[in-house]
Amino acid sequence: MSQECPDSQQKGMVFNIQKFSVHDGPGIRTIVFLKGCALRCRWCSNPESQLAEPDLAFNAGRCLGVSKCGHCIVACPYGAIRLGDSDLPVIDRKACADCQDKACASACPAQGLLVYGKMRSVDDVLSVVEQDMAFYVRSRGGLTLSGGEPLLQKDFALALLREAHERHIRCAIETCGMVPEATVRAAAPYLRQVLFDIKHLDPAVHKAQTGMSNERILANFRILAEEFPDLPILARTPVIPGFNDNAKTIKAIAEFLQPFSRVEYEMLPYHRLGTQKYLFLDRQVPMGDVQLNQKKMRILRDLAQSVLGARLHRPKEKTKKA
Amino acid sequence: MTQVCECRSPQEQRLQDKIEGKEDKFRKSHSRVFKLLERFEGQKPRIDIERALYFTESMKETEGQPLVLRWAKALMHVAKNITVTVQDDQLLLGRAGCDGRYGILYPELDGDFLDIAVRDLPTRATSPATITPEDAKRVVEEIAPYWKGKTFHEDLNRSLPPDVHKLTYDDPEGLISRFIVNETASFRSSIQWVHDYGKILRRGFNDIKREAEEKLAALDPMSCKDNCEKRPFLEAVIIVSEAIVLWAKRHAVMARAMAQVEQDPVRKAELLRMADNADRVPGEPARDFWEACQSQWFTQMFSRMEQKTGTTISNGRMDQYFYPYYLADKKAGKINDAQAMELLECMWVGMAEFIDMYISPTGGAFNEGYAHWEAVTVGGQTPDGRDASNELTYLILKSKREFPLHYPDLAARIHSRAPERYLWDVAETIKYGSGFPKLINDEEVVPLYVSKGATFEEALDYAVSGCTEARMPNRDTYTSGGAYINFAAAVEMVLRNGRMKKYGDQVLGVETGDPRSFKTWEEFWEAYKTQHLLFLKTAFHQQYIINKLRAQHFAQPMGSAMHDLCMKHCIDLHQEQIPEGINFGYFEYMGLGTVVDSLCAVKKFVFEEKKITMDKLIEAIDANFEGYDDIKALLKSAPCYGNNDPYADAIGKEIDKISVEFGGKYSMHDLGIHNDVRYVPFTSHVPFGKVVSATPNGRTDGFPLSDGSSASHGADVNGPTAVLLSNYNTKNMGMRDRAARMLNIKFTPKCVEGDEGTEKLVSFIRTFCDLKLWHVQFNVLNKETLLKAQKDPNKYRNLIVRIAGYSAYFVDLSPDLQNDLIARTEHEAL
Repeated sequence: MSQECPDSQQKGMVFNIQKFSVHDGPGIRTIVFLKGCALRCRWCSNPESQLAEPDLAFNAGRCLGVSKCGHCIVACPYGAIRLGDSDLPVIDRKACADCQDKACASACPAQGLLVYGKMRSVDDVLSVVEQDMAFYVRSRGGLTLSGGEPLLQKDFALALLREAHERHIRCAIETCGMVPEATVRAAAPYLRQVLFDIKHLDPAVHKAQTGMSNERILANFRILAEEFPDLPILARTPVIPGFNDNAKTIKAIAEFLQPFSRVEYEMLPYHRLGTQKYLFLDRQVPMGDVQLNQKKMRILRDLAQSVLGARLHRPKEKTKKA
Repeated sequence: MTQVCECRSPQEQRLQDKIEGKEDKFRKSHSRVFKLLERFEGQKPRIDIERALYFTESMKETEGQPLVLRWAKALMHVAKNITVTVQDDQLLLGRAGCDGRYGILYPELDGDFLDIAVRDLPTRATSPATITPEDAKRVVEEIAPYWKGKTFHEDLNRSLPPDVHKLTYDDPEGLISRFIVNETASFRSSIQWVHDYGKILRRGFNDIKREAEEKLAALDPMSCKDNCEKRPFLEAVIIVSEAIVLWAKRHAVMARAMAQVEQDPVRKAELLRMADNADRVPGEPARDFWEACQSQWFTQMFSRMEQKTGTTISNGRMDQYFYPYYLADKKAGKINDAQAMELLECMWVGMAEFIDMYISPTGGAFNEGYAHWEAVTVGGQTPDGRDASNELTYLILKSKREFPLHYPDLAARIHSRAPERYLWDVAETIKYGSGFPKLINDEEVVPLYVSKGATFEEALDYAVSGCTEARMPNRDTYTSGGAYINFAAAVEMVLRNGRMKKYGDQVLGVETGDPRSFKTWEEFWEAYKTQHLLFLKTAFHQQYIINKLRAQHFAQPMGSAMHDLCMKHCIDLHQEQIPEGINFGYFEYMGLGTVVDSLCAVKKFVFEEKKITMDKLIEAIDANFEGYDDIKALLKSAPCYGNNDPYADAIGKEIDKISVEFGGKYSMHDLGIHNDVRYVPFTSHVPFGKVVSATPNGRTDGFPLSDGSSASHGADVNGPTAVLLSNYNTKNMGMRDRAARMLNIKFTPKCVEGDEGTEKLVSFIRTFCDLKLWHVQFNVLNKETLLKAQKDPNKYRNLIVRIAGYSAYFVDLSPDLQNDLIARTEHEAL
């Protein structure tokens, strides 16, 4: 990136901005989702976040059917969309791989065809984030960068953080840690909260299930925990059936975290809410129909709690004051 | 979705427990009220005709006398003759009718409907009620005939000029509403109201009577005004003060008689104490908490017999006027919190039993689910501008969490310095899941009321009244229910050149021309504005006539006796102008979201992007979008109100401006009262939607309009913060001719789970306060719960749902309205 480009004009690939997010950092927040990730976790609930480029998605549930609409077929300059079975259009993904303007999605009146990912400037993104300032002020919330791996778009992410800081928006980040160490060090001073994924401590298992080993992830975690003593960190483990939903793995993670006394910990039970999006992208659902055993989840939480005590965040519905 | 369902709101948990046959966890600590409630659970309300019967009997005898005096005499006749009941286990005395769930009749209001109503009420789809054959016969033979030709409704129907009549009623008799510029004055004697109960607790009716006697003695015997106007008023005040005391003492006699035969010594002592209370209050000042509750309750119930106030009479600032009695009793060791709560809950039971009966079909459709809004206000500020919360505030909130029914309609005032403890308690109570309390914002209400002429002291002491209104019981004065205006119909009339699909070739609006000939968005907008102004004009003319007629049909000696200004000037509250009073009327903007979204779609797709022609749009709308699914989908993708989208919100603000500007010009200076724009539909957005054909926002024929200042169904895709901001964006903050805006926000329990969730809800409420929005209420529920309840109503009989400014039982609502609720966007944060 050219040095002359001011932070507010930096552009990056954003695939969603979500208001009123209350489970990713303190207070009421807006999450900005950046595209691109180095990992390919089989359980990823945001498959549309993985590639750096825009993805064309097809949501059959919203499609009106070719007999009632069919605008996409007419709009496609490559002839890549045709009538399939049961009145729905079928996309030849190979034929449209190089298409830039995605005319089909613009022609679709029903948001049945949509594009995940759009180049947006820092200014544009923050103007949306700033709309909820009145809520951040009261709840001590703000902006959470997420993805994908938000720090992978290094220049854009850093520009966003610097500019948000300038505008007095409190920033948090949700990271998988799979980025260069320098990026982590550059981002940290602008953050009020880090949500850091620790998925597994065994490098081989990690590589097998996410495509990458975990050394760099753990190194980045140590950098944040040791070099930035005022930065609150919440380590998070998505608990995935067949991957880390066992006592040994969870115990190892808890014990790894134990010496970092200011790091809090949260376990996120696997859910299948992302399944739909794999289908939108014409991709196989890597996890199939697997579900997490709720009882096991409780036992694993007990285990983590025995190591970390109150540092483990547990969801609980407070019983009514009598 | 499994994750979402894991988390049940406490209300859902209680339902689940009930289905599984477990005992309610609060039953033990509230055994008296549970016992009382179980006696009428699931009962269809009964119509009690006594009030109507005795009222009519007396009115037959007093023709020709001043109305206020006739009214007082009628109430005296009721007080002497109405059956007096002492219920087992109750601690408070005073009912307006029979045991169980009941409603009473007000034939002076809409008695011309009575014979039809007694035939239809038991079987009508919305809010049915039962009546015995003997009573039905008496209604038809003894009550209804007297009122034929005399009711307010008939007079109004006769008095409306043809241009106003045709947008008001669909038939010459005025029995069927057009649902365009709908009048609401004929199914309630006034807009909602709240009395200064504190005055009765401090002074008692005997002291008010004494005041009236002194004034009477001081009248100038030569003066016309003194003798023809003030004298009958003061005599009426004396009669009505005697009437309520007489009625109370009849209860004392009965309670004492029952005590004599009572075997249980505990109950015997209770009955004797209740008899002593009824001998003392409301004639004399209350001396302790029990007497204070009894005095308030007698006053409230007698007031309900006096007239039908819109949405029943409200309870005022209960945590303020009861507080001295509560505090003194606590200090003296006379009462503990459990006992105080039991007394309050005995009152809630009485409220639950009283049904606000709407006998006209239009009234019934407006107020589905036996809705009533006897708002109890807590919190807020003192007249001195300090935070007003106290121990009683917290006790009432606690009772709201534990009492199993959706009574009373609880309203919490919020201000910028509201203590954290108060907001946490409010938030925890909301999380319970029944939608209570609703929140009203001092930071909007107080400055507005000051700008309209109130002193700071008066404005700071306002009480929530009815659905979302705010009253200053000694400063503001009555007016009749205002027009509910269907502005979605204005959009339809633009598209159909002054006509509506439902009414065929009849020209109802202004013929603004064939929209196919419009070259620019500005032309379309001007056409909308023309229809909008026609509706406003019609509503104001309607109101003008209503205000003139009202004083000829209604009087309210008891309510007037409790009002400082009426006593000062010796004038009944129903008179058109009370010296020094401030008249807060309003009209209703129906369908804000529907109209904004429709105008956005037209502006964007027809005029700016030219994606469809006007011709095509009208073709699709005529076909109710059948065969035009792509156009319908496109229209739905237009910018929508409720998303903090500047495109939509700018149009919303312009629409609001037409109304506030019109009000600024024609309210005070011409109509003679404040007539402010309000966005509070109750449940009427459903019947209003039924008359409007498909609209350019992709809404189909007959579908409900958007509700209050909430977004169209499912259109608010950006979450609850955006809904709040859109509300803020569409307000003309620099103008004063505005009243309440009702805003519903629905959360799933997951969103507000745990202490962290409560904290977020508290901060959300603080932001609501910062934005100076008038009202908000929350619904913490799962969609699944509603779907289950719809399928199996018997199991979910006590499922409380928040709709349109009040709570009702979900299963009491029509399938139409149930679907409407389910269709609203849930704000889930996973």
